[in-house]
Amino acid sequence: MSSEPSIRCAGVGKAFQLYAHQNDQLKQILFGLWKTFYKDKWVLHDVNFTVERGERVGIVGRNGAGKTTLLQILCGITQPTKGDFRVSGRIAPILALGSSFDGLLTGRENARIGAAILGLSRKEVDACIEDIAAFADIGSFFEQPMRTYSMGMIARVAFAICAHAKADVLIVDEALSVGDEIFQRKCKKYIAEFAKTGTILMVSHDLKFLASLCNRVIWLEGGVVRAAGPPSQVIDRYRDDVLAELHREPLEQAPNDVNRFGIPESANI
Amino acid sequence: MLLVHDSDVYVAPFERAWRNRELIRAVVRREFISRFRGSALGPLWAVLSPLFMLLTYTALFSITVPQLSAGVSVADYASSIFIGLIVFNLFSELAYRAPILLHEHVNFVKNSIFPSETIAWTATIRAFTYGGVGFAVYIVFQLLTAGTIPLTIVLTPFLIAPFFLFTIGVVWFLMALGAFTRDVAHIMASIVPVLMFATPIFYRLDQIAAISRSAAFWLRLNVVGDYIEMLRDLALDGTVPNVFGYLTLVAVSYAVFLGGYQFFMRYKSVIVDVI
Repeated sequence: MSSEPSIRCAGVGKAFQLYAHQNDQLKQILFGLWKTFYKDKWVLHDVNFTVERGERVGIVGRNGAGKTTLLQILCGITQPTKGDFRVSGRIAPILALGSSFDGLLTGRENARIGAAILGLSRKEVDACIEDIAAFADIGSFFEQPMRTYSMGMIARVAFAICAHAKADVLIVDEALSVGDEIFQRKCKKYIAEFAKTGTILMVSHDLKFLASLCNRVIWLEGGVVRAAGPPSQVIDRYRDDVLAELHREPLEQAPNDVNRFGIPESANI
Repeated sequence: MLLVHDSDVYVAPFERAWRNRELIRAVVRREFISRFRGSALGPLWAVLSPLFMLLTYTALFSITVPQLSAGVSVADYASSIFIGLIVFNLFSELAYRAPILLHEHVNFVKNSIFPSETIAWTATIRAFTYGGVGFAVYIVFQLLTAGTIPLTIVLTPFLIAPFFLFTIGVVWFLMALGAFTRDVAHIMASIVPVLMFATPIFYRLDQIAAISRSAAFWLRLNVVGDYIEMLRDLALDGTVPNVFGYLTLVAVSYAVFLGGYQFFMRYKSVIVDVI
C-alpha cells in the first residue's frame, strides 16, 4: 500500500454552460472563437479535500449543494471547469442505480454488461456472476427480462454488480432508498464490510447511518465546503442549521430533503 | 485537426478500443440480443430482409428500366445493384442513427463510467455484421445464378477494413454534432436520400463516364460510391481495382477516421453536460 491519498481534490470548480436556446450550443461550436453564447452557472467553487486510503467519508448538504456533481467529477463522468483531482485505484460508482439497464434483457445479461462497464474482463465476470445473482437474491427473476422488475429489484441487481466490481474506491450517491428493509440492511452491511479494506465516499441523507459508518464528514453548501471534520460535530451543526431553517420558514415551504428523488413509497411494488 | 505531430495520434483510437474490447463485445452482444428478442424469426430477419430487397430491386429495375442494364444480363445487373445497396444501406443506416446515438445511450453516458467513444464502435460493428450477412446472401445468389464467383472476392477484406474506418470516423463526427443539436438528425434525413442518387447504386460509374466525364469526376468524390465500385470489381467482375485509386481511398478513409475521433474526443467532456 502506498501512502498516496485515495482521493485528492484541489480547487475543483464546475460551471455548467447555460444556454438560452438549444441552438446556441451549435452556434457556440461554430462561432465560439468570436463570441460566447452561454452564461456560466457555477455549481462548485474551489472544493479542496483529501481522502486517505481506507477512510470513510460522508458528504452531507441540501439539494443543489453540488454533491452529485462532485461525485460525477470524481468518477470521471464530467470534467471540472477548474482545479485538479485524482482518484487512485478502481472506482465503483453507485450513482443512479440501474438507470443504464435494458428492459428487454434479463437480469443476468444486464449484469454482465454492467460489470463490463465497471472494467471487469469476461473471465472475471464469469467467475462472479453467480455471486452477483446470490447477492441480488431475486430468485428466478434473474433470468427474466428486466422490464418485469420492480424498482427495488432493479436496485438490487445494480448494487450487486457494484459490490462485485473489486473496486478500491466506492463512490455512493444516495441510492439505497429504493430497496426494501432487508436489502437496505444488506447494502449497509456490505458497505461497512467494504470500509475495512477500501475507501468510501458517500452522499447520504441518512445522518444516523453516516454517523455510524464514517470517520469524517464533509458538509457542502452552495458549492463550497462549509465544514469538515468528525461526524458527530459536522452532522450536529448541519442538523441544527436545517432545523433553524425549518423554524424560520413556514412548514409547507420547507425543503423536502428526505425524498429528494421524488420516488413515491408505492414504487416498491 | 491533425496538426498534432505526435505518433500516438495515429494509433490512439485503436489503443482505446482495445482497452475497452470486453465492453464493446458485451454491448454488441446486448444490441443483437435485444434486437431479436421477442421476434419469432429472430436472426433469420438478418437474412430475409436483404433477400426481399434483392428480389424487389431485381424485379423493379431490371424489368422496368432496361436502359440501365443495357448489355448486362438481368442476374448480373441485379447483383450489381445488390452490392451497391448492401454498402449504401449499411452507411445510410449509420448516418441516420449516429446523430441520435448519444441520446439513445444517455443513461450510460451520464450515470456510469462509460467511455462514450465506444458507442461508435458498437454501432458500426453491428451495421457491418448486417452488411456481412447481406454479402453472404449475395454470394449464394451469385453462385445460384452464375454458378461461379470470381476468385478476387478473397481480397474484399482489404476493402472492408478501410471502409470500416471511414464509416466509424463519420459516426464519431455525427454523434458529436447530434449531441449539440437535434437538427443534425433532420439534416441527415434530407441529405441521405439525395446522396443515394449521387451514389453508383443503380448505375455504374463507367456508364456515367460514357455520357459525361465531368459528372463522373464529381461522383468519384463520393467515397461510399468508390467503395461500391471497387467491391463490384472484386466480387462481381473479377478485376483488381486501380492501385493508385485504392491507396488514395485508404488514405482518405484513415484521415476521416482520425479526424472523427479527434473531433469527438475534443467535445466529449462538453457533451456529457449538454445531452
